[in-house]
Amino acid sequence: MEIIEKIKTNKSNDNLTEIQKICLHKLQSCPLPNPKSELWRLSNKSKFSNFLDYSVNQKDSKFELPYPKNSQSTIRLIIGENYQIKLIEKNYSIQQLSEDELQKYIKEQISFFKQNENWSDLLNMSLSCKNNILGLKINGSKIPPIEIFSNASSNSLNAKTLVIFLEKNCDVELLQVNLGKENSSLSQSTFFCLKENSSVNHGVVSYGENRSNLLNSLNVIQQKNSAYNLGSLHFKFNYARFEISIKQTAGNAKTTIKGMQITKKDEQISTYTKIEFNGPNGFLDQINKSLADDKSHAIFEGSIIVPKIAQRTDASQLSRNLLLSNLAQIDTKPQLEIIADDVKCKHGATISQLNEEELFYMRTRGITLTEASKLQLSSYFQEIISFIPISKDRWDLLDKLLNEN
Amino acid sequence: MVNENLVKDVVKEPYKYGFVTDIETDKIEKGLNEDIIKLISQKKEEPKFLLDFRLKAFKKWKKMKEPDWATLGYKKIDYQDIIYYSAPKQKEKISSLDEVDPKLLETFDKLGIPLTEQKKLTNVAVDAVFDSVSIATTFREELAEHGVIFCSISEAVKNHADLIEKYLGTVVPASDNYFAALNSAVFSDGSFVYIPKGVTCPMDLSSYFRINSGDSGQFERTLIIAEESSSVSYLEGCTAPMFDTNTLHAAVVELVALDDASIKYSTVQNWYAGDEEGIGGIFNFVTKRGKCLGKRSKISWSQVETGSAITWKYPSCLLLGEESVGEFYSVALTNNLQQADTGTKMIHIGPKTKSTIVSKGISAGKSKNSYRGLVKMGTKATGSRNYSQCDSMLIGDQASANTFPYIKSQQPNSEIEHEASTCRISEDQLFYLQSRGIEFEEAVSMMVSGFCRDVFNQLPMEFAAEADKLLALKLEGSVG
Repeated sequence: MEIIEKIKTNKSNDNLTEIQKICLHKLQSCPLPNPKSELWRLSNKSKFSNFLDYSVNQKDSKFELPYPKNSQSTIRLIIGENYQIKLIEKNYSIQQLSEDELQKYIKEQISFFKQNENWSDLLNMSLSCKNNILGLKINGSKIPPIEIFSNASSNSLNAKTLVIFLEKNCDVELLQVNLGKENSSLSQSTFFCLKENSSVNHGVVSYGENRSNLLNSLNVIQQKNSAYNLGSLHFKFNYARFEISIKQTAGNAKTTIKGMQITKKDEQISTYTKIEFNGPNGFLDQINKSLADDKSHAIFEGSIIVPKIAQRTDASQLSRNLLLSNLAQIDTKPQLEIIADDVKCKHGATISQLNEEELFYMRTRGITLTEASKLQLSSYFQEIISFIPISKDRWDLLDKLLNEN
Repeated sequence: MVNENLVKDVVKEPYKYGFVTDIETDKIEKGLNEDIIKLISQKKEEPKFLLDFRLKAFKKWKKMKEPDWATLGYKKIDYQDIIYYSAPKQKEKISSLDEVDPKLLETFDKLGIPLTEQKKLTNVAVDAVFDSVSIATTFREELAEHGVIFCSISEAVKNHADLIEKYLGTVVPASDNYFAALNSAVFSDGSFVYIPKGVTCPMDLSSYFRINSGDSGQFERTLIIAEESSSVSYLEGCTAPMFDTNTLHAAVVELVALDDASIKYSTVQNWYAGDEEGIGGIFNFVTKRGKCLGKRSKISWSQVETGSAITWKYPSCLLLGEESVGEFYSVALTNNLQQADTGTKMIHIGPKTKSTIVSKGISAGKSKNSYRGLVKMGTKATGSRNYSQCDSMLIGDQASANTFPYIKSQQPNSEIEHEASTCRISEDQLFYLQSRGIEFEEAVSMMVSGFCRDVFNQLPMEFAAEADKLLALKLEGSVG
C-alpha cells in the first residue's frame, strides 16, 4: 500500500504532468476502490494489496521478448521505449499523437470517469509518466499487423498507457501483449477511438509469470458504422483484472468480443465488461470463457446497457465456464439493463466440468483420458484463440495452454 | 404499427379492491420502541420466549441499515410514523364464524374470498388476516381430523408453543436482513401450518391478507412445517384499499420440509399499486425462504406479482437434504410507475440437489422491473443441477427491464445453466392474430398469457384462472 500512502501525501510535485496531477487529485479523495461495490466485491483483498505493494518504476529495464522474432510483415512497438513514429506509406500512415492531442483526449476521457468504475485508469494515469504513454493515429488500409508490448520489471509496479485513434475508413489488425515478470505489477490502460467506418481486430494476450499482477483496463469508443472485434486471453497471473468499457456513441456499430481467462494454483483472474449502446441499431456478440483449476478463482461480470435511444439493438452475451477442481471457484454475473422496447437482448451462462459422455466416447476409441481431456480443452480454447489476430500463425498459444495443462 | 392510443385506452381498469371497510379498530400509537414491542406482545398474551425473540430482533434492527442495492427508488420510510398494531374490535373469543363482525365477512365476500362455511364446495381452507390480526380460519375441524394444524400464528403461539419455539426464526433468522429483523420485532399475525408425518393435506390451504388501515403497516409471519412424507399446497392472496400514502408491508415466510415432504407455495400479490402518477401504493418488502431439510424434500414457489408500488422480494430455497428440489416460477408485471426488484436464491448445499427457475417479467408504462437471482453451488453439492430461464417483455418505450443473475459455483461436479432474453410484443404475431379477427386488446392479452404460460401451468387451478384475468386487466391500456 506504499503507493496509496504516496498518493495521499503527494500534494504537488513539479515533475508531474498535468494529467498526472488531475488523476492524483481525484484519487486523493478516495485512494482505494470501494470494496463493497459490485466491481470490487469479489476481488481478493490481500492479492490486491500485494499489487500495490511494489514501488513505482518509471524506467524500463530492457527485456528479451519471449515471443517469435519479428518478421518484416509486422510492426512491433514497445511501450516505454522512446520512439519517433512516423510511418507514411502509399496506403496508410501511422503517426505518433502530439502531446497536445494526447492531453486533450485523455483529459476529455477523465471528465467522464467515475471514481469507482475507473479506479484502475485513475491509478494508471497518475503513475504513468510521459515516456510510458504511447499515442498513435492510424489511417488507411492494408496496414501490416501491429504488435504492441507492455511489460513490468520484477519487484516493481509499472504503469503503461496506450492511446489509439483509428481514422475514418481505416482497417487494422492489432495485437497487444502484456507481460508480467516474476513478482511484478503492471497497470495497463488502453484507449481506443474508432472513427466512422473504421474497423479493428484487436487482440489482447496477457501472460504472467510467477506471482505477477495485472490491472488491465480497456476503454473503447465506437462511432457510427465502426466494427470492433476483440479477442482476449489472460493467464498465469497471480492476480489480474481485465476491465472493458465499450461505448457505441451513435449506434449502428458492431462489437464482437471473445475472451478467455485461465486460472490455476491460487490465482484470481477477473473480467468486467460494460457495454453501452447510445444509439440505435447497435450489435453485440460476446462470449467469455473461464477455466478454473486447483484453488483458483475466476470471475466474470458483464453488463449490457440499452437506454431508450438504442432501439433495434441486438445484443447477446454468453458466459461459459469450466470448473475443474473441488477447491476452485467461479463467479459469473451477466446482466442486462434495458429501457428501449424494440430490442433483442439475451444472455446465457453455464458452469460445468468436461463432458463425461464425450470423454467416455473417446476412451472407447482408444484415446487415453489425458489425451481425451486435452482434445476437449483444445476445442474449448480454439474458439477464442482463433479469434485473436496475428497470433494464429506465429504464437502457438494453443500449444502453450495445452502443454501447461 | 401498433396504435398507441388504442392500447392505452384498452386497459384502464380501476383497482377494484380499493375500498375501505368502515370498522372500529383497536390501534396503538405510532412509533417503534421497546415499549411498543412489549405492548404488542402483551396484547397477544405471548410467552416470554417470544417477547425475548422480538426484543433481540429489535436490538439487531436498530444496528442495521436499510438495504440500498436494489434498483429501486422510493421516498425514505419513516419507521416512527407507522402504526405497528391495528386490529378490528370484536368479541374476545370467537367460537364460530357467525360471531365474526358481519362487516368483516362482507369485506372478504367482496374480495371473493369464501369465508362462510356454506361455500364448502370450493374446498379451500382460508385463514383471513385483516390488518394485524387473523379474523377467521375455515375448515378447521376437517383439517384437525387429519392432524393438520392450520391456524393463525397467534393461536399457534398459545396452543403449539413447542413447535413455534423450535422452528420460528430457523429459516429466516432475525438478523437475516433489515426487513426480516423489523418483522421479527413487530410481527402481529399470520398463518401457521403443520402437516404431520405421512399426511397429504386433504385440501388447499389459503391465507388472505387485507390491509385496511392507511397508516398502519402489515407485518405478518407465516410458518409452514411439513413433516416426513407429507405434502401441502398453500395459496396466498393480498389486497389493500387505495390511499394517497404509502403503506409498509414487511412479511416473513418460513417453510420447512423434512424427508420426502413437499410444499407448494403460491402467491397472487395484488396490493394497491398507486395511481398513474405513482401516488400511494404499498411498499412490499418480503423475505420468503424455504429450507429443504430432509432427503428428497421439495419446495416450490410460484408467484404472480402484479400489485405494490415497490416490490422487494426474493423467495428462496436452501437445499440441504440429499436430492432435494427447489423450484421458482414467477410472473412479475409492472405498469405505470411501479418498481419491482424480485427473483430468487437457490443455495445448493446437499448433494444431488436440483433447482429450476422460470421468471417472466413484463414491464409497461414507466415502470421498472428487475430480476435478481442467486444460484450457488456449495462444495458438497456434488451432482447438483440448476436451470434458470428469465425472460422479459417490454411494452412501451419508457419501461425498463433489468436482469441481474449472480451465479457462483464451488463444485466442479455440478451443472448450472442460465438463459435470459428480452423482447417486445411481436408485431408479426399481433398482425396475424388481428387478421384472424381477434381484437387488438385480446390479441395482446393472449400473447402475454402465452408468454407466462410456463408459470401459470404451475399455479393451482383457481389461481391460474385468476392470474390470467388479473394480468389482462392490469395490462389494459398500457400497450404501445
